[in-house]
Amino acid sequence: MLPSLRALAPLLLCAALAAGCRAREDTRSADRLVLRYQPLGPDPAPFRALVAAFERESGVEVEVQALPNAADLAHQLLVTSLGAGGQDVDVFVLDVVWVAELARAGWLADLSDAFPPARVREEFLAGPAGAVVQGGRTFAVPWYVDVGLLYYRKDLVPEPPRTYAALAAAIRAARAEAPGIAGFLWQGRQYEGLSCNFFEALWGHGGAALDGDRLRLDTPAAREALGHLRRLVADGLSPRSVVTAAEEDARRAFQEGRAVFMRNWPYAWPLLQDPASKVRGKVGVAPLPGADGPAPGALGGWQLAVSSRAPAARRAAAIRLVAHLTSPDANAVLAIAYGRNPARHASYEDPRIRAEAPFIAALLPRVEAARARPVTPYYMLAADALQGELSAAVSGLRSPAEALARAQAQADAIAGVER
Amino acid sequence: MSPRTAWTIALPYLAFFLLPLGWLALTSFWPDAELARPLPSHLTLENHAAALAGGGLARAVLNSLLVSGATAALALALAAPAAFAIARLGVRGGRALLAAALAVSMFPPIATAAPLYAALRAARLLDTLPGLVLPYTSFSVPLALWLVTGTFRALPLELYRAARVDGCTPLGAFRRVLLPLAAPGVATAGLLVFVFAWNELLYAVTFLTSPSRRTVPVALALFGGEFRDPFVVLAAASMLATVPVVAIAVLFQRRVVAGLTAGAVKG
Amino acid sequence: MSARGERRLGAALVAPAGAALALVALGPLLATAWLSLRHRVPVLGEDRFVGLANYGALAHDARFLGALANTAYFTALAVALELVLALPLALALHHAGRGRGGIRAAVLVPWILPTVVAAKLWALLLQPDLGLLARIWPDGAGAVLTRPRLALHAAIFVDVWKTTPFVALLLLAGLQAIPEDLARAARVDGASALRVFRSITLPLLRPAILLALLFRSLDAFRVFDVVFVLTEGGPGHTTEPLSLYAYRTLLRAGSFGLGAAISLVTFLCVVAIGLAWLSALGERRPAEAP
Repeated sequence: MLPSLRALAPLLLCAALAAGCRAREDTRSADRLVLRYQPLGPDPAPFRALVAAFERESGVEVEVQALPNAADLAHQLLVTSLGAGGQDVDVFVLDVVWVAELARAGWLADLSDAFPPARVREEFLAGPAGAVVQGGRTFAVPWYVDVGLLYYRKDLVPEPPRTYAALAAAIRAARAEAPGIAGFLWQGRQYEGLSCNFFEALWGHGGAALDGDRLRLDTPAAREALGHLRRLVADGLSPRSVVTAAEEDARRAFQEGRAVFMRNWPYAWPLLQDPASKVRGKVGVAPLPGADGPAPGALGGWQLAVSSRAPAARRAAAIRLVAHLTSPDANAVLAIAYGRNPARHASYEDPRIRAEAPFIAALLPRVEAARARPVTPYYMLAADALQGELSAAVSGLRSPAEALARAQAQADAIAGVER
Repeated sequence: MSPRTAWTIALPYLAFFLLPLGWLALTSFWPDAELARPLPSHLTLENHAAALAGGGLARAVLNSLLVSGATAALALALAAPAAFAIARLGVRGGRALLAAALAVSMFPPIATAAPLYAALRAARLLDTLPGLVLPYTSFSVPLALWLVTGTFRALPLELYRAARVDGCTPLGAFRRVLLPLAAPGVATAGLLVFVFAWNELLYAVTFLTSPSRRTVPVALALFGGEFRDPFVVLAAASMLATVPVVAIAVLFQRRVVAGLTAGAVKG
Repeated sequence: MSARGERRLGAALVAPAGAALALVALGPLLATAWLSLRHRVPVLGEDRFVGLANYGALAHDARFLGALANTAYFTALAVALELVLALPLALALHHAGRGRGGIRAAVLVPWILPTVVAAKLWALLLQPDLGLLARIWPDGAGAVLTRPRLALHAAIFVDVWKTTPFVALLLLAGLQAIPEDLARAARVDGASALRVFRSITLPLLRPAILLALLFRSLDAFRVFDVVFVLTEGGPGHTTEPLSLYAYRTLLRAGSFGLGAAISLVTFLCVVAIGLAWLSALGERRPAEAP
C-alpha cells in the first residue's frame, strides 16, 4: 500500500532543491559584476586568467555566465533579460549587427566618456568602430572581429582570382586537372550567413544597401548580385548543396579536398592545417573576388557593452571591466589562445601575435577592408525577411528581382516607410 | 499473438530505431577531422574525454535527473487524485477542466517564456532548479491528467463499487484498489513527463544562468563555437548523458510497476 | 459517503491540479492575448494599441499562410505515419513475453535522445554532399534537403523516427488496461486472433488511440527543433512552421505584438484540433458504459 510518506516525497524533493539553490539577490553590490559572453573555446583557462587579473586589480568579483553560441538563442536571452527591465546582467557581448538596435532601444549605457568616439575610431578597425559609434556616441567596444575570406587550392589554382570571371575560369581549368571536383563552396542556407554572402556579392557589384536609415534592397546592383549567386548554382560552378550549407558544411567538404574554392571565416584556417586534413599545406587565402576587382569581406565579430540599467557605481566597475577585456593585452590572449582576430589596429603589429599567430597577423589588410552589414536599428528586424527571400532566389524558387522586391516591401513595412 | 510473431514484428522496428543510434554511437568515437569521410581510419576516446572535461556534463545529468524526477513526481501527485475525481467521483466541470488543461499546456512555449521570466524573477526563482520545476510541472500536468484519467476510466466501474461496498472510503478505494491496478498507466505517464522535462531546452536556457545549474539540453547547446559544430563531441556527450536515463527508465518501470501491481494482488 | 460528499471530495482533489495550471499557464496566455492587440517593438520603443490590426496583417501575409500550410501538412502526415507504425509495435511489445523490457527500452532511446541531438544526427546523415545517404543515393534521399518542395518530408521523417516510440508507449498503456480474460474467453469460444483483435482489442483501444492522436497532433502542430536544426525553415521558407515564424518574429525581429498574434493563432488552431478530437473521443466511451 502507499505509505503517506510517499505522497510527501515530491514536496521533500522540492524542499531539497530549494535548499540547494539559493535564489539570486536582485540587488547586487557594486563589487560584483555579471558578464555574459559566449565561450571562446574548449579551454576556459586563459580567459579565466584574464578575468582573474581584473578581479585582483579592481577588487571586483566577476560572475561569468555563458551564452549559447547559436546567435539567435543568445539574442533571445539578451532581449528577454534586458526587456524584462531587470539588472540581471552588467556586461554582455553583442553581435556587430545588434548594436544599433539595442542602442536605439536604450538598453546600452553610453560609454563615450570612457571611450570617446574619436579615440575608438583611431584605435580600432574602421568596420567595428563604425558599428559601435552611433550618432556621435560610443555604445559598445569592439572585442574581436571576423571577416569573409576566399580560400583556394594552391595546387590547383596558380593565382587567386580577382574577379568573378576569373573565378569561373579557374574552376574550369582546375576541373581539367581534377575531374569531378566541386567549384566554389559558400553559405546558401537560410540564415544570417547567407546574408553575409549576399552583401559581399552586392559590394562586389559596386552596390550599397543603406540610404540613411533605410535599407535599399531592390536596386540594380542587388539584382545583379543575387543573380550572380543563383547562377553559381544553376551553372554548376557551385554544387546544389550550397543552398543548405552553413560554414561547417563548406569547411568539411573543402577540407576533404572536394572543392577548389571556399568562402569562409578565418576560423577554418587552423582546421584546414590539421594533420588529418587532406588539404594541409595546399590552401591559400585571398580577398573575395568582385565584378571588376577584389570585394570587401563581410565584417563579423563581437563587441562588449554595458547595461544601461546597472546602477552608477556598478556601471563604473563594468566600464573598467570592458576596458580590461578590450585592452591590447587581452587582444593578444584572445588571438593566441582562441584564434580571435584583434579589433585593434596595433595588435596586428604585436610581436607576441606575430610570433604565435602569424596567420592572424597577416590578416590585417583583410580586416581593414572588411565592411559591416548595414548599420541601422532596423537591420535585425529586416534580416529575417531578407534571409527567406535570398534563400528563395538562390534555390530557384523565385527570380532575384521578385525576391528582392518582396524583401524590400517587408523591410519598408517594418521600418514604417511610406512609399 | 504469440511471442514469436511479436518478435518478428518487433525486429524491423528495432533495426529502424537502433541502426541510426548505432551510427550515433560510432560517430562518438570518430576523429573530428575525419567526420566527412565514409568511415574513420581509427576510433578515438578523445570526444568522450572532451565531453566530460570540466565535469559540467556530469553535473548537468544530475541536475536534469533532479528536475525531471521532481517534475514527474509533482505532476503525478497533482494529476492522479484529480484524475480519480474526474473519472469516478463525477466532478462537475471535469471535462471542461480536461479541455482547459489541454489548451493551456499547448500554448507555444516561446510566447510564454518572457512573461514567465518576469514572474519567476518576481518570485526570486530565476536561476534555481525549483524555478524550472514549477513551469515544467504545470505544463505536464495535462498529459498526466489525461493519461491517468483514461487509465482509471478503463478500469471496470464494478471494482470501485465493490471496494466501496467492502467498506473502503472513496480515498481508500483510490489508494488500495484503483491506483495499484492503474500502475502501468500511471508509470507510463510518469515516464512521459520525465522525458518531456529531460528534453526541454527553451525554458532551461532562458531561466538558468549559472554553470552549476545547467540541465543536459543546455549543456549540449553550449558545446561548439560560433561557427564550429563539433558533432562528434556532441554525439559523445549525448550518448554519455542518455545511457543513465535509459537505465533508470528501465529500472523505474520494472520496479515501480511490478511493486505496485504485486501490492494490488495481495491487497 | 453521499454522492454530494463524493462530489465535494472530488472538487478538493481536482483543485490543486487546476490551481497549478491556472497559476503558471493561464497568466502567460492572457498576457499574450493582450499583447497581440498591440503594436509593440521594444527595440524601436514602439508600443500602442492597434486592435485586431496584427491579425488583419496575417490574413494577407504570404509567409504566414505558407507556414500554416506547412504546419498542417507536417502534422497530418507525421501523426498518420506515427499511428500506423506504432500500432503493430505496441502489439508486439505487449505480446513479446520474455525480453519485452529490453525491446521497450531499446525502442525508447530515440525518444529520450534530446531532440536537438536526434535532429543533428539526421542532418549529418542527410547532408547533401557528405552524408551517408548522399553516398548511397546521391540524387534521391541524399539531396532531399536541397529541394524546396521535398525538404519538409525530411523533417517529417525525423519526427516519425523520434516520436513513434512515444505513440507506441501510449497505445501499450491502453493495451495493458484491457482485461486479459476478455480476449482469453473469446479465444476459448473459437474466435480467430484477427477477429479478437478487430472486435475486442481495437474497440477497447479506441480511447488510447484517440488520446495518442490528440496529444501527437497538438504537439506536432508546434514542431520547432527538428525543422530548426535541419533547414532553419529554408529553402525560401518552404519548411517553416508556425512556431518558427512566431519565434523569429518575437525574438529575432523583436516584433512582440505580431509574434503574439501568430502564437495566438497557432494556439487557436491547436484548440480547434483538440476540440475535433475531443468530440470524436466523446462519441463512444466503451469502458465507461459497459
